[in-house]
Amino acid sequence: MTILTRLEQWKGQGILSPEQHTLLAGLSRGEPFSLFLELNLLLYAGILAFVAGLGWTVGTWSQQLGEVLVLTVLSAMLAACFWYCFSRAPAWSSAEVPSPSLVFDYVLYLGSLVWSVELAYIEKRFHLFSGQWDLYLLATAGLYFFLAYRFDNRFVLALALSSLAGWFGLTISHWPSHQDPSYRQYAIVYSLFVGAAGAITHRRALKPHFFGTYLNIAANVLFWALLSGVFNRQNSVLWLFALLAACAASLAWGLSRRQFSFVAYAAVYGYIGVSSILIRDLNDGTAIFSYFVVTGAAMLVMLILIARRFGKEA
Amino acid sequence: MRAYSASAEEALRARNLLKDWADEGFITAAQHHRMEPETDCELRRTNIFLRLVLFLFTLIIAVAAALLFSVVTRPSQQTAGVFLLIFAALSYAAAEFAVTQFRFYRYGIEEALAVCSVVFLCGGMLPLLSSSAEFLVPAAGILASLWIWHRFGLPYAFLAAMIFVIWVPGHWTSSHSAQHVIVAAFYAVGLIAVAVVRSRHRLDFLDDGYSIVEALLWLGIYLTINLHLSSVDLLRQWWVGPLTTTEFPRTFYWTTWVLIWCLPPAILVRGVRRKDRFVIAVGAIAGILTLVTNKPYLGWQRHTWDPMLLGALLIGVALIIRRWLAAGPGGIRHGFTAQRLSGKDKQWMDAGSAALGLAVPHAITPGPQTVSPDVRFGGGDSGGAGATSDF
Repeated sequence: MTILTRLEQWKGQGILSPEQHTLLAGLSRGEPFSLFLELNLLLYAGILAFVAGLGWTVGTWSQQLGEVLVLTVLSAMLAACFWYCFSRAPAWSSAEVPSPSLVFDYVLYLGSLVWSVELAYIEKRFHLFSGQWDLYLLATAGLYFFLAYRFDNRFVLALALSSLAGWFGLTISHWPSHQDPSYRQYAIVYSLFVGAAGAITHRRALKPHFFGTYLNIAANVLFWALLSGVFNRQNSVLWLFALLAACAASLAWGLSRRQFSFVAYAAVYGYIGVSSILIRDLNDGTAIFSYFVVTGAAMLVMLILIARRFGKEA
Repeated sequence: MRAYSASAEEALRARNLLKDWADEGFITAAQHHRMEPETDCELRRTNIFLRLVLFLFTLIIAVAAALLFSVVTRPSQQTAGVFLLIFAALSYAAAEFAVTQFRFYRYGIEEALAVCSVVFLCGGMLPLLSSSAEFLVPAAGILASLWIWHRFGLPYAFLAAMIFVIWVPGHWTSSHSAQHVIVAAFYAVGLIAVAVVRSRHRLDFLDDGYSIVEALLWLGIYLTINLHLSSVDLLRQWWVGPLTTTEFPRTFYWTTWVLIWCLPPAILVRGVRRKDRFVIAVGAIAGILTLVTNKPYLGWQRHTWDPMLLGALLIGVALIIRRWLAAGPGGIRHGFTAQRLSGKDKQWMDAGSAALGLAVPHAITPGPQTVSPDVRFGGGDSGGAGATSDF
């Protein structure tokens, strides 16, 4: 029985009004067909390509173009973007505020990225922050947080969180090459800070819908940091206990809040950590593959029990 | 022939639509509660995260079991091939068992077992065949993947079949041009077959699956024809600069250039006519790729401002379409609207904005870390608002 037949039945049973039936039958047939997602993706790709070209052009031709022209153009773009956003933004609310238009979020995003390009150019040409580049990152993170909360924009929130990560000394591209303990400690402090900040803002109902972004970033950074400690042979057992504690917390949170990404984090990160300790000194192929068969089956059974308990909830 | 009954899959589709409409406020919670029980079915599903993890651990078990067997028995190459074929049969039987006995549907477990059966089949055939018959390996991969796609409805199995197709012509001819033509011809035949079959399922649950498959085939044809994306030698140009000679005859090369301009509008028209989200997306992607690869095709020099022009074009197109649609009665023109009609769109946007927002911008925005006398952007690194890049 197709959805159209079902809708007809529900209309006949009086569950759906004729107007609802017309609307839902139309939607089932793709009438009207929404291009909302496609237009958003086109705008996002356009902004990224534009800023990439802008940064590339400024970097390559800045000497020929001259500082005045470069700064004038970048400042004009920045001012135009922020003027647009501040002049068209709805009144601030601590709850989720829908974007006033399709382009609004992307204008703000463009302004934020142009800010990064301009500040980087100024620093390169005039060395305003010489030796204190961290201040730039912190100030930029602060600005992005302000913009994200003022205009309710997740794109800019993600920029803010990654700028803050930069201030803590973390960069995604350098992750695998950094094994020094201080780097790991910064990562843990960052994740705890971000997690706590997310929890506090959520508790105070300050854009509570941002909480998921905070928590997912904090969890992943924390798990990577703890895993890198487990892989390091010094104090690896201590790191393992910390990892298991984090996994238990993630599992409990995921199950209690029906947020199954945290169940997945606990399963995967925990399994990698425990396995790396247990098979570290094994050289026998039989033992290693037996380990994976047995423990994999145990994990599978546990996950099936969880999946059966919660069904298709997401 | 399909592992699941049409009524069960249709019920699942209805269930998903009801949830979406309830989330969007098109129906009330009370209406949802009354209608939902009528979409009950026996299929057992799970959410995407558990599905991924179940897939991963099933894969670990199956691969580790095969390796354990080979370590314990230490078979010769031929015997190992036979064992792998047996493992392929066992994996497939286990996938069928999981579906028939436990009614798993997109559950991760049956998917991983089905995938393993294809991998083991191809791995097992390789040592058993002489070099002249090696083309049977990708051929078997194609057939097995197509069967898995048809039986379990997994779109990525169809993608696997398309990837296997790439290896077939290499066994028949050494001409690179001929290889591209053969692969494109395979995809074109598949596309015609899908288009014919699909026309009978315009309004049922199968249309969604066929939509993905058609989009994949269009993308496959485009990528095969666009030599600057599908030829290893020409791909090297992006890093080492223009080549003086290519492996392709001149006529063939310029024919493909004409085709990469003809295909995107054709795909877009097809997608818009059918109101097919995936085909429209592939048409747009193909169009962007044509713009990006046009200069390398013509041997023209790329400029630093090219991405800016592309970006401005994309933004302009999006704004024009939006304004044009919004100006129609009720924000609708020719059955299209720029308004959001599904909660899934918002979920995708929220998840994508956080993930892409973290990773992508810092690859494109430059930022200094070290003080250096020369003024040169060196591209950004991920994280820290590009703070680790050099000018």
